Amino acid sequence: MTPAARDRLAQTFREIVGDDGVISSPDELRVYECDALTTHHRAMPDLVVLPGGTDQVAAVVRRCANEDVPIVPRGAGTGLSGGAIPVRGGVLIVLTRMDRILDVDAANRTATVEAGCVNLAINRAVIPRGFFFAPDPASQQASTIGGNVAENAGGPHCLKYGATTNHVVGARVVLPDGEIAAFGGRLADRPGYDLMGVFVGSEGTLGICTEVTVRLLPLPQAVKTLLAVFRTIDDASNAVSEIIARGIIPVALEMIDQETTRAVEAYAKAGYPLDAGAVLLIELEGLQAEIATEAVEVETACRANACLDLKVARSEAERTLLWKGRKSAAGAFGRMTRNYYHQDAVVPRTKLAAVLREIAAIGERYGVRVPNVFHAGDGNIHPLLCYDARVPGQFERAMAAGDEIMRCCIRAGGTVSGEHGIGIEKRDYLRLMYSDEDLAVMRRIQTVLDPRGRCNPGKIFPEMGYAEVRA
Amino acid sequence: MTVVQAAARLVEALRETLGADSVLTGVGAAAYRVLGAEPTAAVLPREEADVSRALAVAFRDGLGVVPWGGGAHQSLGRPPRRYDVALDLRHLNRVVAYEPADMTATVQAGIRLADLQQRLGGAGQFWPLDPPLADRATVGGIVAASLAGPLRCRYGSVRDLVLGVRVAHADGTVTKAGSRVVKNATAYDLTKLYAGSYGTLGVLLETTLRLQPRPAAERGWLLKGATIEQCHDAATRILGSHLAPNRVELLDEACADGCGIPQAGSTLIVSFAGVGEAVRDQGESVQTLARDLGLNAAEIENPGRIWRALQDFPWRPAGTDTAEQRVLWRGSVLPSDCAKAMHAVRDAVSGCGEVAIAATASHGVLRGALRATTSELAARGVAAAREALTALGGFLVVMESPEALRATLDVWGPVPAEVKWMRQIRSAFDAKAILNPGRFIDATP
Repeated sequence: MTPAARDRLAQTFREIVGDDGVISSPDELRVYECDALTTHHRAMPDLVVLPGGTDQVAAVVRRCANEDVPIVPRGAGTGLSGGAIPVRGGVLIVLTRMDRILDVDAANRTATVEAGCVNLAINRAVIPRGFFFAPDPASQQASTIGGNVAENAGGPHCLKYGATTNHVVGARVVLPDGEIAAFGGRLADRPGYDLMGVFVGSEGTLGICTEVTVRLLPLPQAVKTLLAVFRTIDDASNAVSEIIARGIIPVALEMIDQETTRAVEAYAKAGYPLDAGAVLLIELEGLQAEIATEAVEVETACRANACLDLKVARSEAERTLLWKGRKSAAGAFGRMTRNYYHQDAVVPRTKLAAVLREIAAIGERYGVRVPNVFHAGDGNIHPLLCYDARVPGQFERAMAAGDEIMRCCIRAGGTVSGEHGIGIEKRDYLRLMYSDEDLAVMRRIQTVLDPRGRCNPGKIFPEMGYAEVRA
Repeated sequence: MTVVQAAARLVEALRETLGADSVLTGVGAAAYRVLGAEPTAAVLPREEADVSRALAVAFRDGLGVVPWGGGAHQSLGRPPRRYDVALDLRHLNRVVAYEPADMTATVQAGIRLADLQQRLGGAGQFWPLDPPLADRATVGGIVAASLAGPLRCRYGSVRDLVLGVRVAHADGTVTKAGSRVVKNATAYDLTKLYAGSYGTLGVLLETTLRLQPRPAAERGWLLKGATIEQCHDAATRILGSHLAPNRVELLDEACADGCGIPQAGSTLIVSFAGVGEAVRDQGESVQTLARDLGLNAAEIENPGRIWRALQDFPWRPAGTDTAEQRVLWRGSVLPSDCAKAMHAVRDAVSGCGEVAIAATASHGVLRGALRATTSELAARGVAAAREALTALGGFLVVMESPEALRATLDVWGPVPAEVKWMRQIRSAFDAKAILNPGRFIDATP
């Protein structure tokens, strides 16, 4: 975009959203050159716009369509696959000002919120009324519902309740030509193709959602949190399989390996044992009588797999402390390594032990430490590839190890992303899972909703070479 | 080429491609009648590649293809605009992969639900869907028509319970979507699109299903009230509480009668499944709630019979009077409007015929039967019932009716503005509109 064209566009946007809703100075734009994916590629947007409502989003998008300028939606910028990085430049449309809760309907157990509403803010609004919104990505204190929809965000509690796609019933969407559409809605089984279902997880490539209607669940009667300590990751993995095989679906079943346990303990003092090979954080949620029985089953499954110790949180304070360890993991990463690359993949639960052994071997082969703290219950692993960017070769080795880990997960029958999405990070891994024909069928949706390919271009689909992405 | 010549050429092409014993004609093909239309040939593929080959033949000449599972729900939708080939997937009925500890199963689309449940039951698991006519319905058909039953209250519907699919497209190309694991965020989730697409976007070949453990205990309670509002109030309180029912069904008197519930009035059925003690505790809570609200509550004895009746309602029991015009329909309103909707439909059709209605209170899904003495009255009744639901912000869809009546009924009702993108998607997936043409969403006119 020429400076003159940019200035003209900025002026139009100021007329739509007000002077304080447009960012055009290079210093301020630099803030938006990447999201939480920092290892791959950075790119400056030509302009940033912060609209205050659906009509403003539509007006901005229409203007961009007229000028044939790419648009890139962004929420809080916590995405880990680079979905909000404007790799082709253009206008970054940031939805954080649209954070209102529009409606909480207790009788129908739904809430309608603007796309920039923070995940946790929904829960703050509905918990006092006896309900909760289930998806709980680690970023939930910052990430927006619009971003959660774009990435089909998960979180520990997905094991029992499912991911974002299972909890979103409708959305208002500004399509790439500026038209406003209603996908889904609060009526069940309305005849027609499930456009809402396709939109969730489309990573901002099919339009910009501005309002989202989510399903709420009644708060459970009781919660029980257990910490099981194992000598080895193998034992812990086998315990995970056995818990599930016994027909128990905990609300969360998280594994924390030794290296992470130690780092977390130094930081959060959650009472995790330092000599354990792995710990499982197991949470049961539901009816008092149900979880009492399930806790016995969980204990039996753990003991049968050489569990060294089993703690049960006796109070809300103890429970919070056990979770504090898990939730502090991200903060502890900084203590574990100078730089890291946080991966995301899913394997069948029964392959967990074998895959984790292979990951350890890959780490050794490349001389890369790979601690892992993850959602074991649904086989969703998060290997953390540690490196020091100042040491020549370390970054490349970490990336190469990451590459092998992805291939190993696919060989085990898994997927290359469970909750972070593809963005620019995993585009070239998509071909490990899907044939060109599979991908071509997906792109038919894009040809209908974004025929000119202006909406978050360069994301998800492997069209650019790997070298270009890494440039 | 005359019609007869074209038919002969098609049959010859299919026999050549698939082998003579995989192609039925004449009486054999007539068994695949759909809403008055009969195909030239029925094809019974032995393997996935046969499906592709048969589709390629049909695609070349732009022929109409109706994918066929158990045939249980072929009455859904409008009559096919063109119907040359029935594609019967009954031989694609293998369990491809089943690892109980993963709580997933990958099965071919032609497997009957009853057979699948039996196989999963051996490992203490099930696919938690209870659509009507489950003894005949296949997994592919259930996914294509997005059929769920009362158990959706707890487990969700088809879109929540299918993780991945393999699909044969109109031209025979086979692709996959989704995955075989329980969590997946890789590119567009087309699984959602195929669920409920009534076979208009592709022929389902294989599905990976999310399973659940079979509960140790299951018990149900019958709450009777003076009015359906009273029952609905109880349902709303239960659904907003910590109780975790697997069924919350509101039944009007005619429906309760049909399901074999004695001395039926307005009825609420609530059931719980899981650990025995938890089921008992919840039953006690429901009885207390019923007392507080002035409802009469009793545990259902031998509930299996009631579950089956509810699951099959309104498909069974069918009317005994063959001269009677019987229309089965479904509809939705906001859950909070269930009772209002049941009343509104009853009032709207009075003068045209009689209705029996059940409502899944958790989701606001209504299903009903309308009986009338003449086809004119039945058509008027359907229009009136639709108007009543539309006034509440809901909709109504016709599921089954006598064939002659069907031609006069608007099956799907008013289309939303978003249908324009759906039509474009249909065009992008099936350029020649050979899959179930005319029955559901059609290509851009």
